[in-house]
Amino acid sequence: MTLDWSVVWEHRWALAAGAAMTIQLTVLTMLLAVPGGILLAAMRLSPLRLLRWPATAFVEFFRCTPLVLQVYWAFYVLPSEFDVRLSGFATGLLALTLNVSAFNSETFRAGISSIRRGQSDAALAMGMSSFQAFRIVVLPQAVKRVLPVLATTWVALFKDTSLVSVIAVSDLAYTAMQLRSRTFRILEMLTAMALIYWAMGYPQAKITDWIHRRMAGRE
Amino acid sequence: MIESLEPVLDNLPFLWAGIETTLVVSALSVACSLVLGFAAGLGRCFGPAWLRLPLVFYIDSMRAIPVLVVIVWTFFAFPILFGLTMTPIVAAVGAISVHVAASIAEIVRAGVESIRQGQSWAGLALGMSHAQLLRKVILPQAVTRMLPSFGSAIIVTIKDSAIASVIAVPDVIRHAESVVAQTYRPFEVYSFAMLVFFAILFPVARVVDRLYLRIGHRGRS
Repeated sequence: MTLDWSVVWEHRWALAAGAAMTIQLTVLTMLLAVPGGILLAAMRLSPLRLLRWPATAFVEFFRCTPLVLQVYWAFYVLPSEFDVRLSGFATGLLALTLNVSAFNSETFRAGISSIRRGQSDAALAMGMSSFQAFRIVVLPQAVKRVLPVLATTWVALFKDTSLVSVIAVSDLAYTAMQLRSRTFRILEMLTAMALIYWAMGYPQAKITDWIHRRMAGRE
Repeated sequence: MIESLEPVLDNLPFLWAGIETTLVVSALSVACSLVLGFAAGLGRCFGPAWLRLPLVFYIDSMRAIPVLVVIVWTFFAFPILFGLTMTPIVAAVGAISVHVAASIAEIVRAGVESIRQGQSWAGLALGMSHAQLLRKVILPQAVTRMLPSFGSAIIVTIKDSAIASVIAVPDVIRHAESVVAQTYRPFEVYSFAMLVFFAILFPVARVVDRLYLRIGHRGRS
């Protein structure tokens, strides 16, 4: 077995572009999935059944099916059945956003439910509207409690972005696997891919631990 | 929308074979990752120092690398490195188990560490050996606390098994792909695959929710 690691260095810019795509997908998905999660959580906690039921069905559906299948479904079914033509990137982003929104909504729901009832009662007694009570009193406290969980979700999302490679979005996983079949340096390319993911993910996992420790003692 | 259910119904035996593979891969991965994870978790808590450092490195690394990458590496790169070939199913079960075992190890550690120190002292004061202490005092309580998190890990494992389709494990997704290629009906076929996973995962998720409600708080001090 002869190894030729120069092939990795040769394709460093392609791999860097793939890594940039992975980061871009992670950031964009989270930016969209936080408001999405808050919206879904608010719907699930609403007294109106008309809002509660669709939100519950949405969340259960996305939590109980694999993300890779959601990506396939969006990629093949949206154009053929609904005439929605999105780029691979937009399709991947859509599937990731809907999936992470469902998980975030559970996080926010738990966070909002953990704020004692007395707090919103007090806000209402002071003459706030129920929306004001939610926005000014409940939400800021809930956000602090959900931050560690969101950090964990962030790391999971960073890893899950690799699944959009199955629909040829040129993220790090797809780029490395393409280079593997083009250069035939299988071991070198796949090991480089794993190491780059490791180098990006390891600090994120450590920062998550740190956030968990810092927030643990609060309130 | 749904034109006819024929693409699914005509290929039902073929799709069913895929469902069986999915169930087998999931069950084997759950079993292997529990064994591996327990060993790694207990090793990290009670093992000698020379063992603890590599275990911490392994656990944190698996938190940083996507399971897809581990599966692909195990199937394509591992055989080159060690000169042995694996069937896709063996590679998938191995890779998923090694990946999920890291989170099981963390659950085990959190469970063991949640048992108050006073309990260990009391056990030792009664003349128990460390092994006895672990077996009779710590683990029975800790395992109860770990159960809900194990449930969540099992759900993750079943979902991860879907990713095995990228290395051509003939699971329900792989077989659905073949049927779509023949029938050009992605909507019916992929939706069927969705329903299959939902039918497997929804009951499991409900049981896990109940576990959290019923015994999640148990033994909390």
